[in-house]
Amino acid sequence: MPRRKMILPVLLTALGLILGRFLLPWLQVAPDTANQVLVWGMFGIGFDLLFGYTGLLSFGQSAFFGTGGFIAAWLLTNDVMGSVLAALLIGTIGAAAAGVLVGLIALRRTGIYFAMITVAIAETFFFVENSPLSAWTGGENGLPGVPAPVFRLGSLVWKVGTGWSMYAFLAGCFFVAMVLAMRIVRSPVGAILTAIRDNPLRARAVGHAVGHYKLAAFVVAAAYAGFAGGLLGVLQGFMPPDAFTFDTSGQLVMQTVIGGSATLFGPLLGAAVWLSLRDFLQAGMGLGGAWKLVLGLVFVLLVCFLRRGLIGGLESLFARRGKAAPDEAAAIDLAAPTLSSVGPSPRRRAAPRFDGPVLEAKGLTKIYGGLSANRDIDFSVNEGELRAVIGPNGAGKSTFFKMLTCEVTPSKGSIRFGGRDITGMDVARVCQLGLTKSYQVNQLFGRLTLRENLMIAALAERRGLFRLDLLRSLDRVPGLATQVEQTLGLVGLTARADLPVAELAYGEKRRLEIGLALAASPSLLLLDEPLAGMSPRERVETVQLLKNIRRGRTLIIVEHDVDVVFELAERITVLHEGRKLAEGTPAEIQRNSFVQEAYLGGVAAA
Amino acid sequence: MTDLLTVERINSYYGDSHILFDVSLRVARNEVVALLGRNGAGKSTTLKTLIGAVRARTGRITFDGAEVQALPPYATAALGMQLVPEERRIFGSLNVEENLILAGLTAKGRWPIERIWGMFPRLKERRRSRGTDLSGGEQQMLAIARALIRDPKIVLLDEPFEGLAPIIVRDLVGVCRTLAEAGQTIIVVEQNIQAAMTLADRAYVLNNGHIVEEFSAATMRAQPEVLHRHLGV
Amino acid sequence: MITWPNFLSQLFNGAALGALLALISSGLTIIYGTLGVLNLAHGAMFMLGGYAGYAVYAATGSFLLAVVGGSAALVVVGALLELVVIRRFYGRPPEDQMLVTFGIGIVVVELVRLGFGSLALTVPPPAAIAGVTPLGFIIYPTYRIAVLAIAAVVLAVLYVVLYRTRLGMIVRAGIEDSVMVNMLGINVYRVFMLVFGIGAMAAGFAGIINAPVVALTPDMGDAVLVETFVVVVIGGVGSFPGAIIGGLIAGEILSLTAMVDPSYAQVMLFVVMTLVLILRPQGLLGQQGRA
Repeated sequence: MPRRKMILPVLLTALGLILGRFLLPWLQVAPDTANQVLVWGMFGIGFDLLFGYTGLLSFGQSAFFGTGGFIAAWLLTNDVMGSVLAALLIGTIGAAAAGVLVGLIALRRTGIYFAMITVAIAETFFFVENSPLSAWTGGENGLPGVPAPVFRLGSLVWKVGTGWSMYAFLAGCFFVAMVLAMRIVRSPVGAILTAIRDNPLRARAVGHAVGHYKLAAFVVAAAYAGFAGGLLGVLQGFMPPDAFTFDTSGQLVMQTVIGGSATLFGPLLGAAVWLSLRDFLQAGMGLGGAWKLVLGLVFVLLVCFLRRGLIGGLESLFARRGKAAPDEAAAIDLAAPTLSSVGPSPRRRAAPRFDGPVLEAKGLTKIYGGLSANRDIDFSVNEGELRAVIGPNGAGKSTFFKMLTCEVTPSKGSIRFGGRDITGMDVARVCQLGLTKSYQVNQLFGRLTLRENLMIAALAERRGLFRLDLLRSLDRVPGLATQVEQTLGLVGLTARADLPVAELAYGEKRRLEIGLALAASPSLLLLDEPLAGMSPRERVETVQLLKNIRRGRTLIIVEHDVDVVFELAERITVLHEGRKLAEGTPAEIQRNSFVQEAYLGGVAAA
Repeated sequence: MTDLLTVERINSYYGDSHILFDVSLRVARNEVVALLGRNGAGKSTTLKTLIGAVRARTGRITFDGAEVQALPPYATAALGMQLVPEERRIFGSLNVEENLILAGLTAKGRWPIERIWGMFPRLKERRRSRGTDLSGGEQQMLAIARALIRDPKIVLLDEPFEGLAPIIVRDLVGVCRTLAEAGQTIIVVEQNIQAAMTLADRAYVLNNGHIVEEFSAATMRAQPEVLHRHLGV
Repeated sequence: MITWPNFLSQLFNGAALGALLALISSGLTIIYGTLGVLNLAHGAMFMLGGYAGYAVYAATGSFLLAVVGGSAALVVVGALLELVVIRRFYGRPPEDQMLVTFGIGIVVVELVRLGFGSLALTVPPPAAIAGVTPLGFIIYPTYRIAVLAIAAVVLAVLYVVLYRTRLGMIVRAGIEDSVMVNMLGINVYRVFMLVFGIGAMAAGFAGIINAPVVALTPDMGDAVLVETFVVVVIGGVGSFPGAIIGGLIAGEILSLTAMVDPSYAQVMLFVVMTLVLILRPQGLLGQQGRA
């Protein structure tokens, strides 16, 4: 999520494109090279949204490039349609539709599977285009005779020609495509996509329908590819069948990585490097086929040493701002009285109106491969209570906790939250109902700033499971900023709000972890070992934080540090060997000889 | 008597989470030392740091005269240290015998397999069974056997009795006791304090990553309240 | 018109192609299983094997030496790649691993193009197994029978190495839990290097024995890489038996569909893959939870 002001980047883009018209000829750049760069740059904008922003590496974008291109070219060469723009638009829609179909299959898996499936599906497109559909697509010959657009405004007629005339048309298209992408990146959806890239598990846990958003990104990328494919036909006056090849997808990936992913302009820069290097080495140096070898080596070196590409490299060169050492900053934070003085608390979802326990689990049982991790646990928590769950190693606490948050489906038993049966419900949906947790191992959005992290969680509460407000600015989400500020204040991180998460000290990350859960405005919050891995000083801070956030909230906490548990909890549930061993006030638990026995393993009687 | 293992002020992290704070301890030859502490105190991390599976950021570990804090696990293992991990980590696709052969491949002085069979007759009966088909107790026996076959100078046992039926715990404690009596140096991490203390000569208590107490087995038997203070609820 | 002889000979073609695909895929799947890296340069290794064999053949005139020399070369290339590049990527996200192996693939292809040119090169089959063999009521090229036999033998050897030797024991244990292998005093990095070498060799070997059937071009690896992906997706990534089953299924689909209509052969392959993905996402012999 970059800064949200858009006017400057938009103006600079326009200026750059106009200057290009005059500077490039002076630099003796062939208009055709510049035009190719624009088409590949547009193709890449969509891919960058998919890979750079959402983290989905597809090697199959050629499928949509080709689909959009051939639909547009077919419409134009068969006199079905006179308007080039209309044909491009229909091609784009066709590509997007193909994107929906492919996405539904490929997005069933992630990582290497996703990449392999996209490759395989793109190859299918190539084969389908090449033979079964060759009557429409011209097979290996492609479709010649794609016309250039003609624009009429009253008596003014602009017939787009070749060379720099075509540049003007393509630059206009690029400008529109880029402005749209900038808006998407700055929209709530754009923010959520970066969160999915950094940590899909947490994006889901704070209440976003991750699968839907991924599909949205996939379809948007397909649409961009389709549009660029159509323009390729217009630019060349001919739609080539090799638009569909694996090489096309590969070239796109390489250009994006060379230029720098998650920048929107990276693919354009990468294409410029690619094509000018080709022209230079091939024509200028007479190196013939070696240009691709040089590019391949450059690419491998960039992936090894400069993963963020050329733009990323330039950025880090210029952005050598002094960074406060984490320790120093943590000390400042501790001195500030943020933690003990409670500011306005972030809002909570109204707990569902219901008489009786907020959370009620009956007969919870989980069996893993014949072994039961949990057996027949009854558990209920009342509104406003602070409950602790403890037990020795292997007692089944983590399984039990995961069942309560619906991360694990129980083998038997049921869970009711606010009177509603949530057994087997999706985690995101449960969070939308007002139940979420903070994790034992930090689950943050690593490449975002602290403020952006909290915004992601708050967005889920503001917008619900899924919404496709691609063009709305994040600033326009009502109440979002207040919600984030209040959470920042509550976890005592206001002063650090605009730092990337990676620069925080561990204790601060831990508090942010709890903050993420809070920003989702739960009415019931589960805390999984909030003190795990903390230094004594950090422990003291965090215990204070827990005391602050408990006001008006229902909390369930699993924690090893029994001293803290006895200090905080109103009631304690003790698990042992997968069953509930005891339940009661801290004093009752301390007196309970079974509990002592379980913890001390035999020497308790002494 | 020189110490076999000396640990001086090590600090270990998981990612950026600080787990061990200036932990120091020593183990003499032929000694059995217990590491006690509540969940999450840093006991397993201590063992993993010793073998090199977790790298200590600062501090020094001297094992049998060599500094090992910067060595990868295979090199530390080659010097004669063996970890029996908490999760046992039996290779499920290999059978019992293959698990043992694999473990012995690079060992300098290997136990003859008959000696393992003698110690764990149950494993001999199941020598052709795949790791996935073993019961929890059998897996634990195999995990210990896999360490012993390398004739290690020191064995690190991480919760060897966890989750096992009492009768199997009794058997395993017996095996460990035989080993100890034969002079095997052991560090044992165990929640079952009674079992741990029947083996150990000495114990350290860890709390939140710090060593907070060190005492002998005799002290523990004389003053059980020491344990209560650190480990009870 | 589909006739019995036609059907049988296509069935045979499918088996030969399937055995070859199984061989290449087993290399990919062993590497992924052990190292956790999806090697997008695997197609390039197949191609490189063909060219290495060609070079040895051109120098010595012996097909046998070409096979031996080419395979040995690929072991070295694979091991070096692991040592110099792949090793830096174990701690990095899978996307980075894919990017770098993809880049390596391009570099290898372009190096071969530089060295051998873009024109197709052929290696004649050894005289002893040239010609045709009558198989009951069909007549079949002898070399294709040999390919099937050789691929089957090499797969069997790979199987023996993986399941009956100490090295294989380490590899299988490493696929399960490389950290534990490390803690048992075995230098897993050396094993990783060897595994990458063996995986590359499996592809390269297939490249050589395929050279008399299909002419060599620098780009020939791309299509093979894609088919290999389909094979491991069908069979289950990381499963050696899965690679064999998947390879045979893919080979038969390609060749039996081609009998009806060649233009649908590839399409049918991907249809089957999609069906497997929908019905059994982890692949036929894949384990739930892996990858």
